Amino acid sequence: MRNVTCESGVKRLMDYLEGTLSGPVRIELETHVAGCPLCRAFIESYRETPRILRGATDAAPSPAQQRALLAFLRSQRGRGA
Amino acid sequence: MVTEAAAGSDETLAARAAAGDSAAFDDLVTRYQHRVYRLARRLTGNDEDALDVAQEAFLQAFRHLGSFRGASRFGTWLYRIATNAALMHVRARARRPEESLERFLPGFDAKGRHRGTPEELRVAAHADDLLDRERLAKHAMSALARLPEPYRVAFVLRDLEELPTDEVAEALHLKPATVRQRVHRARLMLRGYLSDIVEERS
Repeated sequence: MRNVTCESGVKRLMDYLEGTLSGPVRIELETHVAGCPLCRAFIESYRETPRILRGATDAAPSPAQQRALLAFLRSQRGRGA
Repeated sequence: MVTEAAAGSDETLAARAAAGDSAAFDDLVTRYQHRVYRLARRLTGNDEDALDVAQEAFLQAFRHLGSFRGASRFGTWLYRIATNAALMHVRARARRPEESLERFLPGFDAKGRHRGTPEELRVAAHADDLLDRERLAKHAMSALARLPEPYRVAFVLRDLEELPTDEVAEALHLKPATVRQRVHRARLMLRGYLSDIVEERS
């Protein structure tokens, strides 16, 4: 059995979360994390990062911008775009 | 209000639009404009460029509808066009060199253990509770812009637009393993960046 460290575990984190790790490697990683409060804290922040960035960068075109987009595309089509 | 199901699938609308039905194309624009605009804004970093890119992306989609064969989902095909349009836009713009986010990658001691306490390692998880909303939004856009482009594109499509990894791979012509590696790298940098701005707050 290999010796999983925080560092080697972090390298496999995305594969672990996506479910692409092989059984034995996954179990080694889970065993390390179960006994490592540092990794548990790290993983919590790693998992939350996409959600936080998603919320903080969400945006929608305004109704005026949406109308302008449709009008632009119609005018281009009219010109045989 | 007409539901998407009643109006037809994306692929049906695309086929009708390709055959000259302009209302069908308008429906596709209405259906996708929010997603295309948001994607463009996340890739270019500002509202003005996002609008230009959205226009360009839909125009190109319209011009190339004939080559959309339905081998991939319409959304994946459109995301690919919009991503390329955004990158052309970003590359054409004179840029000042941005400080890299490499320094926010996690640190380990000689034994490969995380540096820091659990509280310090966890803090990024609560960045949205701990930071003012406007300030966080500004930092988030700036952080995206500072990611190396391959990481930014993979992260935006996979984690922000929430496309499945295999669709991101298809849109970018990459292997799924490569997409995962890039998204992972981006998450690590952004996680470290969030920790840093939370700690700076005090």
